[in-house]
Parts: sequence; C-alpha cells; structure tokens
Amino acid sequence: MITIENLTKQYGDNVAIDHLNFTVNKGEVVGFLGPNGAGKSTTMKIITGFMAPTSGVAKVAGFDVFENPIEVKKRIGYLPETPPVYLDMFVEDYLEYVANLKGVEVNRMSTQVDMALEKTNLLGVRKRLIGNLSKGFRQRVGIAQALVSDPEVLILDEPTVGLDPKQVAEIRDLIKELKGQHTIILSTHILPEVQMTCERIIIINRGKIVAQDTLENLSTIKSGTRKVHVRVRRAEPAAANVLKGIKGVLKVAAGKTGNDWEVDTSEGEEIIEAIAREVMTQNLGLLEINSVKADLEDIFLKLTYDAPGDGAAAKNGAHSAGAEMTGV
Amino acid sequence: MRAVLAIFSKEFKGFLFNPNFLVVCGLCATVLSWVYPNQLAMFSSDLNNHVFAQQMPPQQLNIHYAVFLRHLSYLNLLLILIVPALTMRLFAEEKKMRTFDLLLTSPISSAQIVAGKYLAALAAVFTIILIAYIYPATTGLFAKINWTTLTVAFLGIFLVAAVYAAMNLFCSALTESAIVAYVMAVVFNILIWFLGMGVEVVDSNVARSVFEHISLNQHLAAIVEGTVRTTSLVFFFSIVFLFTFMSERMVEANRWR
Repeated sequence: MITIENLTKQYGDNVAIDHLNFTVNKGEVVGFLGPNGAGKSTTMKIITGFMAPTSGVAKVAGFDVFENPIEVKKRIGYLPETPPVYLDMFVEDYLEYVANLKGVEVNRMSTQVDMALEKTNLLGVRKRLIGNLSKGFRQRVGIAQALVSDPEVLILDEPTVGLDPKQVAEIRDLIKELKGQHTIILSTHILPEVQMTCERIIIINRGKIVAQDTLENLSTIKSGTRKVHVRVRRAEPAAANVLKGIKGVLKVAAGKTGNDWEVDTSEGEEIIEAIAREVMTQNLGLLEINSVKADLEDIFLKLTYDAPGDGAAAKNGAHSAGAEMTGV
Repeated sequence: MRAVLAIFSKEFKGFLFNPNFLVVCGLCATVLSWVYPNQLAMFSSDLNNHVFAQQMPPQQLNIHYAVFLRHLSYLNLLLILIVPALTMRLFAEEKKMRTFDLLLTSPISSAQIVAGKYLAALAAVFTIILIAYIYPATTGLFAKINWTTLTVAFLGIFLVAAVYAAMNLFCSALTESAIVAYVMAVVFNILIWFLGMGVEVVDSNVARSVFEHISLNQHLAAIVEGTVRTTSLVFFFSIVFLFTFMSERMVEANRWR
C-alpha cells in the first residue's frame, strides 16, 4: 500500500530523514516510533504529499506522491501534529467542509459526517463552535476530519496527545476497530500505545530506521547480554560474591529487596543453569530465577540512546527520557 | 470546481458571520452617510447659485461628476484601507493556525485554493460596494439620474477593488502574520496609484505611453465617465491574473519547504 524508497529530506544542511526504506501492506497498523526530532513527522508529511522530498520515492497505492499528488491525497486521511481545525466553525460544518474538499459524494455526505462524529464520540458537540471546545475535543475533531472521507490510508501524527486517559483508551479502541479496514500509520513516543495498537513497529532515530519488525521479534532482539533475576531466601552478603564468581556473569546488582539480585550475564542459556546450580550448592535457598525479557522500552532506549562509548551520562539521560516515554 | 465552491462558501460565510466584517461594513456606511448627504447639499446649493456664479465649470452642475464621482473617490479611499483587512486573514491565518495543512493535503490543486479564496474576497468587496451603491440609488428615487453611467462607474470601482483584492491576497500568501499582510497590502494599494506618476518624469514617448497604460488613474477615469474600453478591461484582468498567479505559486511553494 505504501512504499518508501531511499527517502531523504534535507532542510538546508540539516538532514531530517536519511534514505528511509520501508513498506506498509494493506490493512496493516504500523507504529512509527522515535524520540522528538527523529523525523517521524517529516516522513508522514511527505507521504501525505504535504511536502516534497529532497530525493527518493514515496508511493501510496501505486501512485507516486510527487508525480500524482491528487490521486494520493484522495486516499489519505491525515491528522497533523496540530489538529487543522477552524476555531470559528461549528463541528458539523467543519466536517462537511472537509468532506467537500476530499471529494466525498454529495449523497453520502451526511452519512459520512455522522459516521465520523460517531466513531470519535462527538455527536454531543456537533452543533458547538470548535473554538469553544477543549483541547481533547479538538484533537478528536481532528481525528474525525481524517476519517470523514473514509480513506484507505490513515496517517495519524501523535493522535492521543492532549487527551485524558479515558479518551486515550477510546482512541486506542478506535484504532483497533479501524484495523483491517484501513491501512494505518501512527506516530507516537508513547510506548504502551504502540504495544496496544500496532502490529508492526518502525523505530526511527536521527532520520534513520534503527529497527523495524513485529513487537514479538523486537522483544527477543539479540542484545548481546542477558539479564537474569535471582531471588533467594537467605540474603547473605556473600551471595553477591557467589554470583560474581560464576563464569559468564558480568555484573551483579542488588535488587528491590535484600533478597533480590539483578545479574547481567553473557548470552546463552547455559548461564542460567550455572547460576541455579551454584546457588543450590551454596545453599542460599533459591526461590526464583528468571531471564528478564527486554520490553519495548528497553529496546527503544537501547536503539535510540545507547551510543557506544558514553556511559553513565547517556544512561541517566535515557532514564529520565524513559519516564517521559511511558507518559507517566 | 466543487472544491472551489466549498472554499468559497466557507470563506464567504466566514466573512458574513464574522462580527468584524459587519463592523467594517457599518463603519463604511457611517463614513458614507456623513459625506454623501453633505455632497448632495453642496451640489444643490451650487445649482441654486449657478446663475450668480458665471465662471462655474459645467461639470459642477452635473450630478454624476459633482456628487457620484466624489462619492466613488471616497469609497476608493475606504477600499484602499478595507480590502487589506478583508484579505489579510485568508492565507496568513491558515498558516498560523496550521489549518493550511488540511488544504495542502486535500486532493485539490493550489489554483483551486487560490480561486476559492479570491472569489470569496471579491464577494466580500462586492458587498461593501453594494452598500455604497445604495446612496446614489436612493437619490435616483426622487431625481432623474443616468442609471447606466452610474452602474458602469460602480463597475469601474469594482474592477479597481478586484485589483486590490488580488494584490492583497498575494500579500497574505507571503506571510504568516496577518498584521504584516495588512501593512504590506496597504502599501501595495497606495503604490499602484503612484505608478502612473512616471508619465510626468520620463522624456521618451515609448516610456510615456507605457506609464500611461499602467496607470490605474487613466483606466479608471474613462470607466467612471461611462466609457468601457477593452484596453482597460485587459489591463485590470491582467493585473488580477498576475497577482492570483503569483499567489498560486506561493501556495505551491509551501510544499517545497
């Protein structure tokens, strides 16, 4: 449905996106993930035909966005970062205006507007002035605007920004509901959102794709090290030394309680076996041992912030950013 | 075509339901309501006294010259300041509020966007000119006037306003700030009246005739007297086309940033 080949956009000397390559199949929901300024919005703007790339090709439904922008725009519903709403218009009039611009047939106009209002839960405010609505409602009007022409492709740039938790949940449900009928690209830096709604994830950093795969495949990404969580009954200071003594263990850190230990080890399953054996022989009272699966946040931080060579500083930065990433 | 109509009706409704536009119309009417009866009173006293004032030029005794054309020149002065106020929002505000994104990602061409907006501006300008037309028209109720000449004269001022609207729309397309668009537009409107000044200062005949042709004054002077020349129409339409075309280029240029 969407094909991106060697897409590059430069603002002067500043390279916003650098030779991007990816495809999105029909009916797929793809999450576009990256820190601020990674090039998410720029890529989306190019796909919508809003701006021209410096070089490279972007195709939607077989039409080149540059050669045939009108055909592409007919098939796209786009929600920009700022919802493009006119504050001096009524919600209903606004949606009719958009439907007219998008070329919705006249006899389907009112059903389409009703559909968009219903899906975004705006029926109660259809006669209100957009300028009098709260930010969350305006955001929803923005989403309704993208839906009103029933487009094949939906491009949503941070759709849940500014919404309250209930509305966020509603929008996520809406996206899940739209799955299959529309091809959806959605950008965000809120990780749970991607986990909940997207089938495939493209992580982009400094204009380059650093990873693109399904969520499951990304979770088992080979990181070179393995994290093992060990819980023992008898917390003795010696326990740390015992663990450190095992071959293949790189680092041992105290966990939440005195009984927990977080062990960084080299890769390979035999290390878990070795740890278990050692703990048993030392009679520490093994309660729990498990290999910690990397969650999306770890992957994300690893891919976007872990530059080789910078140690603690990068890590601190990553942690504070991590808090923002989860949206808490 | 449908998109043009959608943009036109959205913008024109925006004018009509915007209190600011109604206030502007009201203020226009206030100025004209003060000036026009005074002109009319002066004209009637001139008529009464013309027997005693021997050297009075005959044009002074013609209501078209003495009252209507003065009315039009006041209207023109108002339009120089009001048309920029009508057009300043058309593009600048869209850019500032990021609603331009919607237009640029809709399946419509830049030319359609400009056409819709320009027609809406013309319709708004037409409304103001219609208000001004009421004054001489009411005079026509109790005096015998030449309706054709009057209407052609108003057509002339409408053409001039169409030129303002095109130039001012272009100013709005240049910037994100409505204020900057307004100031720039007023300067454009004033400047175009002074272009014809070149006639006075150049020596060569060719240059003089060029300046004569691009002088708004020359073209308007004939129309307000009731003579419609094709050269004048061509002149007005070329300027309108030039500036709407440049606006279209400016809209298209947004895709390249």
